[in-house]
Amino acid sequence: MAEEQELFKVTIDGITVEVPKGTTILNAARKIGPEVAPPTMCYYSSLEGSGGKCRTCLVEVAAGSTKDPRPMPKLVASCRTEVMDGMIVKNVTSKKALDARKGIVEYLLINHPLDCPICDQAGECYLQDLSYDHGTEGTRYEFKRRTFVREDIGPYIQLHMTRCILCYRCLMVADQLTDKRMHGILLRGDTSEISTYISKAVDNDFSGNMIDVCPVGALTDRTYRFKNRVWFLKPMDAHRDCDKCCGKVTLWNRGEEVFRVTSRKDPWGEVQKIDGKPAWICNTCRFEKKNTADWIIEGPTKVNRHSVISTNHYLKKVVPPDPLDKVLNGRSPMLMMDINEVSQVNEPDIDLSILPGPATSTTFIERDETKEIKETPAERLSINDHKKP
Amino acid sequence: MSKKLLLKNINISGIKSFDVYRREGGYQSVEKALKMQTGDIVEEVKKSGLRGRGGAGFPTGMKWSFLAKPEGVARYLVCNADESEPGTFKDRYLMEYIPHLLIEGMIVSSYALGSSVSYIYIRGEYDWVADIVQEAINEARQKGFIGKNILGSGFDCEIYIYRGAGAYICGEETALLESLEGKRGLPRIKPPFPAIKGAWGCPTVVNNVETICAVVPIINEGGEAYSKIGIGRSTGTKLISACGNINKPGVYEIDMTITVEEFIYSDEYCGGIENGKRLKACIPGGSSVPILPANLLLRTAKGEPRLMNYESLADGGFITGSSMGSGGFIVLDEDQCIVKHTYTISRFYHHESCGQCSPCREGTGWMEKIFYNIENGRGKMKDIDLLWDVQRRIEGNTICPFGDAAAWPVAAAIRHFRDEFEWHILNPEECLVRNYGLANYADPLEAVAS
Repeated sequence: MAEEQELFKVTIDGITVEVPKGTTILNAARKIGPEVAPPTMCYYSSLEGSGGKCRTCLVEVAAGSTKDPRPMPKLVASCRTEVMDGMIVKNVTSKKALDARKGIVEYLLINHPLDCPICDQAGECYLQDLSYDHGTEGTRYEFKRRTFVREDIGPYIQLHMTRCILCYRCLMVADQLTDKRMHGILLRGDTSEISTYISKAVDNDFSGNMIDVCPVGALTDRTYRFKNRVWFLKPMDAHRDCDKCCGKVTLWNRGEEVFRVTSRKDPWGEVQKIDGKPAWICNTCRFEKKNTADWIIEGPTKVNRHSVISTNHYLKKVVPPDPLDKVLNGRSPMLMMDINEVSQVNEPDIDLSILPGPATSTTFIERDETKEIKETPAERLSINDHKKP
Repeated sequence: MSKKLLLKNINISGIKSFDVYRREGGYQSVEKALKMQTGDIVEEVKKSGLRGRGGAGFPTGMKWSFLAKPEGVARYLVCNADESEPGTFKDRYLMEYIPHLLIEGMIVSSYALGSSVSYIYIRGEYDWVADIVQEAINEARQKGFIGKNILGSGFDCEIYIYRGAGAYICGEETALLESLEGKRGLPRIKPPFPAIKGAWGCPTVVNNVETICAVVPIINEGGEAYSKIGIGRSTGTKLISACGNINKPGVYEIDMTITVEEFIYSDEYCGGIENGKRLKACIPGGSSVPILPANLLLRTAKGEPRLMNYESLADGGFITGSSMGSGGFIVLDEDQCIVKHTYTISRFYHHESCGQCSPCREGTGWMEKIFYNIENGRGKMKDIDLLWDVQRRIEGNTICPFGDAAAWPVAAAIRHFRDEFEWHILNPEECLVRNYGLANYADPLEAVAS
């Protein structure tokens, strides 16, 4: 029998879960569910060394462990902090963490162009989700945003640095998936940019995965740019025999036409792990096989019901049965009130055109007084309530 | 005249050369240390109560004892000579005028930590200083203090100089290690701390130049004797690099019992404020620590005289106190404009932010732009609150202490000098033509005299 792993008890937002030693707070929270899992922009479980940079996953640690129950003085990045036995973590129940997250969304957005209406990522953009969940409706930033010239890195990928939030994920793809690293960060601070040195092309079989890991629309598929909105497409799981990669992909169709091919995503927006290995796909599968005949279709991809993509999902929506007929039980519907009894708008003797402004309820009350009817519409309504037809 | 330990031989001509340094009693600590057990040296440093001189003030002996010692893995000592904090120039002074003191300290510390290969990371702008230190290393190597089997003790000691490329962030210890490994100088996410996993994944100790130099008198005179100098937990002597509107800017070695008032006004140290003006404010520990107005600088909030040491300068937290920091003592007289001053600091932090984590990358730039507007008469009243909000959300939310360092000066400037910001906003034309000297922060000494 294999040696049993040490299990640590960790409480996140009041929910206790047991996880093996060495798990990060984020993964423990993901085990509980999306309600308590902190959002992430830079952490990517399949990429070693990712995380800790965007600071959106900051959480408050109310008690370090059973042995040392002191709270941690600062908020910690949950994606890089390992749990201890008896740790108490506050995520959505911590005012401090939510306030910090609000600040971070604001920082991420001050230099983001907010060109969602023309951005290919719209609909599957994590920054959109994040700012919807944690941002404010307005900005306090009154200065020029930083802009860059769009750059084609290779025949398949376009880099739109203006939209980049510098999560460093694509660098790790370049580092860990491809043999020769072609691109990196130039300069520093808020002028830093992701680039290949002197616009060199990225030429590698797995470079397309940079598009998948990009949380925003900074790296886009050139074969798909401006072709369609993601929510008009229907995702389908498919596979083919590929000698370079696992060949298990998601096809994005509209009608018979395949608009794009991506790797399969798990509920956290990361590449699915098939047999314990992340299912990265190669550029041949991604960019060149855009024909339904190339693929063996497995069936529709399950999309989260809350995702905008599911609005045009071709699976028939389950609509709950309308209970009205059952309630009425063959009777005709009874109106609570007759509009003509309450209001005189439809009466022929009221000429709306003589009124100086838009008609209001008081207009008619005045006219009622000339007719010596003392009831106000409200009183009349209350009388009508008791009338049975 | 306070006791001098590091700078006692500074005025002897030719102290830069090995021979003169040796004649004045140099390298005795190496001979003494090599006869001791390594654990005893660490114990001695622990007993001395020496605190890191780089800014954080972490006890050095404790740091050394945290160093992991797995079998068969190399350990490294790295000297942080990437002194980039605006207002701080004590390490340069040490390396430039008495380089053998650093080398001596490096050899002793390397022996104590079991590091056969040690590095001195010197910032790129100090190119001539790196040459001086290299010269000192060469001399020491010739005399048998560096190299294989030094002084027949069986201990191999190599010291290499690594020149940085002039980035402030590389003064942060993990960014320094990244840079030392030849990568981009981006701070690492801690834990693991360098004492467990540092340079090339091996246990590493990173110490400031002055800390390593202070090991020499500790070994020579004993940790017990060293701990008797100073007061409370601030033991030993500290180098203060004083600059700004004072009569005698320079590096001073103080024992930490003198008052701030004495340090600024006595002829032995700064010699008073330039041109007979009054003191307005002061940053006691390099640009990243909170600025203090004169009344809070000379007296604590409780009315006690403030001393030049770790505890007293930090008295009252960041509300009414500041921090010893790295010892960059910047004095501002009554004619200086706090808004302009903080704008300059803010611009520096914007320029030096590494851009790894979002609050610091975006927030520092934002703060600088708001400051630019206020300074140039285009500010609005809500900008002050906005600045406060921006700095509040940077502080504590970043990977490394850089974010805190960028946020604290702004917070302190608004906390203590809010009326000056308001004056800038209310008088947009006037603030362009003159600096704003504010009488509210009058020098308390002046009040006593009149």
